[in-house]
Amino acid sequence: MGSNNIIAEIQRDHMYNLLMRGERVDGRAFDEYRPISIETGVIARAEGSAHVKIGESQVVVGVKIQIGTPFSDTPDKGVIITNAELIPMASPSFESGPPKDYAIELARLVDRGIRESKALDLDRLCIEEGEKVWMVFIDIHALDYDGNLVDAASLGALAALLTATIPNKKYEVSDEDVQLTVREMPIAVTAIEFEGEIMVDPCLHEEAVASSRITVISNQDGSICGIQKIGTDSLTEDQVNRAVDMAINKAREIRERFFINI
Amino acid sequence: MTVVDKSVAIPGDLLSDDASRAGEGTYVEDGKVYAHYYGIINDREKIKIIPITSKYIPKRNDVIIGIVTDIGFSNWIIDINSPYDALLHISEYPERLEMYNMSKHLRIGEMIMAHISDVDYKMKTELTMQDEHAGILRNGRLIEISHNRIPRLIGRNGSMINMLHKECKCKIFVAQNGRVWLSGREENVDLACEAILKIDNEAHTSGLTDRISEFLMVNKGRIS
Amino acid sequence: MNAKPEKFIIDGLRLDGRRPDELRPLKISAGVLKRADGSCYLELGANKVMAAVYGPRQVHPRHMQDATKAIVRYRYNMASFSVGDRKRPGPDRRSIEISKVCRDAFQPVVIKERHPRLAIDVFVEVLQAGAGTRTAGINAASVALADAGIAMKSLVASCAVGKVDDTLVLDLMKEEDNYGQADMPIAVIPTTGEITLLQMDGHLTRDEFGTGFKMAMEGCQKIHEAQKEALAKCYQMKDDGGEQVGE
Repeated sequence: MGSNNIIAEIQRDHMYNLLMRGERVDGRAFDEYRPISIETGVIARAEGSAHVKIGESQVVVGVKIQIGTPFSDTPDKGVIITNAELIPMASPSFESGPPKDYAIELARLVDRGIRESKALDLDRLCIEEGEKVWMVFIDIHALDYDGNLVDAASLGALAALLTATIPNKKYEVSDEDVQLTVREMPIAVTAIEFEGEIMVDPCLHEEAVASSRITVISNQDGSICGIQKIGTDSLTEDQVNRAVDMAINKAREIRERFFINI
Repeated sequence: MTVVDKSVAIPGDLLSDDASRAGEGTYVEDGKVYAHYYGIINDREKIKIIPITSKYIPKRNDVIIGIVTDIGFSNWIIDINSPYDALLHISEYPERLEMYNMSKHLRIGEMIMAHISDVDYKMKTELTMQDEHAGILRNGRLIEISHNRIPRLIGRNGSMINMLHKECKCKIFVAQNGRVWLSGREENVDLACEAILKIDNEAHTSGLTDRISEFLMVNKGRIS
Repeated sequence: MNAKPEKFIIDGLRLDGRRPDELRPLKISAGVLKRADGSCYLELGANKVMAAVYGPRQVHPRHMQDATKAIVRYRYNMASFSVGDRKRPGPDRRSIEISKVCRDAFQPVVIKERHPRLAIDVFVEVLQAGAGTRTAGINAASVALADAGIAMKSLVASCAVGKVDDTLVLDLMKEEDNYGQADMPIAVIPTTGEITLLQMDGHLTRDEFGTGFKMAMEGCQKIHEAQKEALAKCYQMKDDGGEQVGE
């Protein structure tokens, strides 16, 4: 609310002084993430799930796979539905009620990474053209918001999908449950721009102080499958390019660290 | 039921069979004293429970550091790190001002040190800046710790805060609402902030003053 | 969903090997979230719930304020992935009723008079549902309220008793809940034995009600011990400057 913005203004001077010395509020390098942890299989009732922590930010992502009818314009393709609940538990600024614009933006960004990277083969999720397809629900549940929920949610979605099984037995499609095929590993990397510098994985203070941030989602081969600029300030071309390069590098590191063996 | 024997209380814990020993953070029922809070038991003449953390609730005569969040007709609205906002009436400003002039002297976003002059039954909280400690705080650094730990930061007879002043060579203003304002050389303020956060984290441990003293000794080389 | 078992109790033991008066495994951790003023993660059998408390804090919209005391709000919510078939996000009639009775369960213990015009907000998220989510939620919320430094007369402990194969059983598991003959969740103030939540559906004789009630009371006492232990342990960890353990 109002007073938070004012406190953010006071923090701004401190952040600026630190920046002059090449430092961030929590002592990280500009291209350094907070500690990341990913735990999969945390929700037994979901077909795939993950609990992700980036610093003190926490999200749980559950993947439910159920049978439904395809959309009429894509009768031979499975369906992905991504939803984010930024519940009031996670932050004093989140309110109850239908998803607000920031929750919808977050969900759509995660969705875009999965969809545009073609991580899921929608053709293979078709059971009977025009009648029966697998619907993959990706539900993002934020528990604690300490900045950079986008990256946490996107890591959670990927980890949950990579460990998901298609419940063939439950729906009597066949007598064996199989692993969901995931063909790509899109990783979102978010950075803020502050006084011309680009810093990845903003903590809450940094998000509050910086008026703009940019999320770049990239694939295994270093190509890009989604970008979103979030916030009220403009960015220069040079800043955007630096953020993109940083994002591709960071995504590669994260992928190698967490997903190569999953 | 037996009387609880430990250092931390949980709401509903029986603390004493002697109702006359009921202190802050406790309640009496059927002549017995129970804990109201999850907190540290302070067992002297009276038994008190100091919550481990809780929101700052304004009390008359407290010294607070506030941030101006809005300017009303004849009041500044002040955030005091509490669910309750406070009001500073134009007549409580150190100088005589005209209403149209209010925002020139004290702007939105500025910090002040002030006293709580009154809290009414509806928790309407009024401030005054008409005493020697009051003033506008500019160009410093603000940190917030749990207000429950402010007594630890001050120390017995001011021992802890005096040590910080002496060793860190910077100005430190401590307010009862959990806000601390520091001003001085950047490195000195850095060290003082680290020490204060250490106190905040380790407030319940014994030998804290010695440990902070040691911490300041080890890091003395960093400051000028 | 599993089909109805032939028998719920074989050789005096239940489907998961428990005796009729035994609770499921219980795990409680306090102070697990950064942003919330108080929090608690709790596992009871297959249930996984997180509770967070914010407050006392300002009330928006203002017309909900009470000029003489704080108001208590309680939101029980199930994550879409917490159940077998995906649940549509957001409140439904069931969760609205549960939120209400749980809120009422805390009214007698929370000291509201000290904080006129403010709200104490309790949020309970069911991450995995496994029968008895409302009782699990109350147990977690109670610890989260204490962790937030809210003044209370006591913690609240909650637990259900039910009937299967004409036998009273404590703390129902999924199959017992789905196909049992009765379900009676209660919440009590363990220090005084006062009841703050009581619901029942199904069929119980007058005697079964009396006996079942006592069983549930005893279950609540055990849960109360675990709640107190979790808070003491949380303090210990803060004391050691140690890391908090989440899920």
